Amino acid sequence: MIRRLLVTIATALVALVVTATPALAHNVLVSSDPAKDTTLETGPSKVTLTFDAPVQGGNVNQVSVVGPNGTQWAEGEVQISSNIVTAGVRPLGPAGTYIVGYRILSADGHPVTGEIPFTLTKAGTGTPAAASAATGGGAVQPAAQSGGGVPVWVWILGAVVLLAIGLTLALRMGRDKA
Amino acid sequence: MTTTGTTSQVRYQAIVGVVTAALIGALIGVALTTTAPVPGVAEVSEVVSVAIPIVRVLLDLAAVTTIGLALLSVLVGYDRPKLTEPIMRRARPVALAASLVWTVTALVTLVLQTAEYRPQVSTVSFADIGDYVVEVGAGKALLVVAVLALVQVVLGVLALRHGEKVPAEVRVGLGLFALLPLPVTGHAANWDYHDYTMISMELHVMSAVAWTGGLGAMVVLLAGNRTLLAHALPRFSKLATVCLALTVVTGLFNGVVEILLNPTIGLVTALFTTPYGQLVVLKVMCAAGIAVLGGMVRWKLMPRIVRHERTALATWATFELTVMGLAFGFAVVLTRAPVS
Repeated sequence: MIRRLLVTIATALVALVVTATPALAHNVLVSSDPAKDTTLETGPSKVTLTFDAPVQGGNVNQVSVVGPNGTQWAEGEVQISSNIVTAGVRPLGPAGTYIVGYRILSADGHPVTGEIPFTLTKAGTGTPAAASAATGGGAVQPAAQSGGGVPVWVWILGAVVLLAIGLTLALRMGRDKA
Repeated sequence: MTTTGTTSQVRYQAIVGVVTAALIGALIGVALTTTAPVPGVAEVSEVVSVAIPIVRVLLDLAAVTTIGLALLSVLVGYDRPKLTEPIMRRARPVALAASLVWTVTALVTLVLQTAEYRPQVSTVSFADIGDYVVEVGAGKALLVVAVLALVQVVLGVLALRHGEKVPAEVRVGLGLFALLPLPVTGHAANWDYHDYTMISMELHVMSAVAWTGGLGAMVVLLAGNRTLLAHALPRFSKLATVCLALTVVTGLFNGVVEILLNPTIGLVTALFTTPYGQLVVLKVMCAAGIAVLGGMVRWKLMPRIVRHERTALATWATFELTVMGLAFGFAVVLTRAPVS
């Protein structure tokens, strides 16, 4: 019995190696510009985040720069070049603490989030980005192209109903002949 | 309560114990890994981020049940159908139901992860799910799992109709195979040791599932049947020993490699200060607890079970299963937690 199981496991492993997959990893932020907790006299023109592994492309990566009073200063598209993520920043305004926030899609498909605070010592002349434009880029409109969609709970409800129907059908099918 | 031959009661306590422990484990994990929202960045609603581990742990338990019940046929053997058939007749509809739950939870996870993938939009459409499957490996993996689980459903229906003519080895093999896609797309992998961590993770998942499933199936359906137990438990015990060793070694290897590969933090610091490390420590404690309980069953109870004596196996094994459930709960959060 054990031998059969070992054969099964061995077969499964061979199948696994044959269908070799690309290396995937959970990304870790290695360095950033501006660096964490630095003090700057003039605001950076862009934010650069360096990860230990490539970041997945697509329009789901977000970078934000939030200033005093929750104002938004990031602007433009988030650019991905392998493991480096960059996003444009408007000329900064009042002196104070700014926080770079990011949510990127890790190579293994898991979202990775984090924040990097820095301090601006001399007030700039810039103005914040429009209202609640929460992200620095990758304007996401997947809903637009697919014509809406339904909330997640509807899907779950549907799944539960499907499960109930499936169970009833399957058990009845099985019992017919028994 | 008679314990002669064919009649034996079903131990529902064990099922309740495992499911509750698994859910509690997942929630403890969620609580450990929760971070304050990052300002200015759109994040998916808490409901979705809590639902993902919960549904995932249900998926794991459905897989454990399906594979465990298929293993049970192998463990009790086919040469005494008069004894085993009443048990298997009870097991088959449960196995079928479990494989259906497996299929549906895989699909629900797909929807939830699609929602998590692009948090700016609160609704999910078929096109979004399609995008997710095309863009992200985990999407493809979930789809493959759903299809494989559906094949299990078909096998389950066939088994319900034709009994043991549907070979249990096929169901075990296919079940174990369906476990493979999800770890492949998780973060078990990395650049330098990719092949080793991947194989190690797959072995970890397969042995943990076979071990928990086999024990669960025996306790729930066989605990009151001393004749079959005397036959099946020694066979299972060999399997369990292999699984225990495999699970512990591969689990430690993967946990340590994952932490060491983080360039920004040391091993000991990471183990005790990061949620990832704390979950690894919790799982090591679970493994130790399971080993003690398993040893207890193996050295104290099994000699008496082999002599067809009545023992407190159900109680001890229920404890063991509950700790296993807890470990599964921690595991679903661990697979997604970053080392930071």
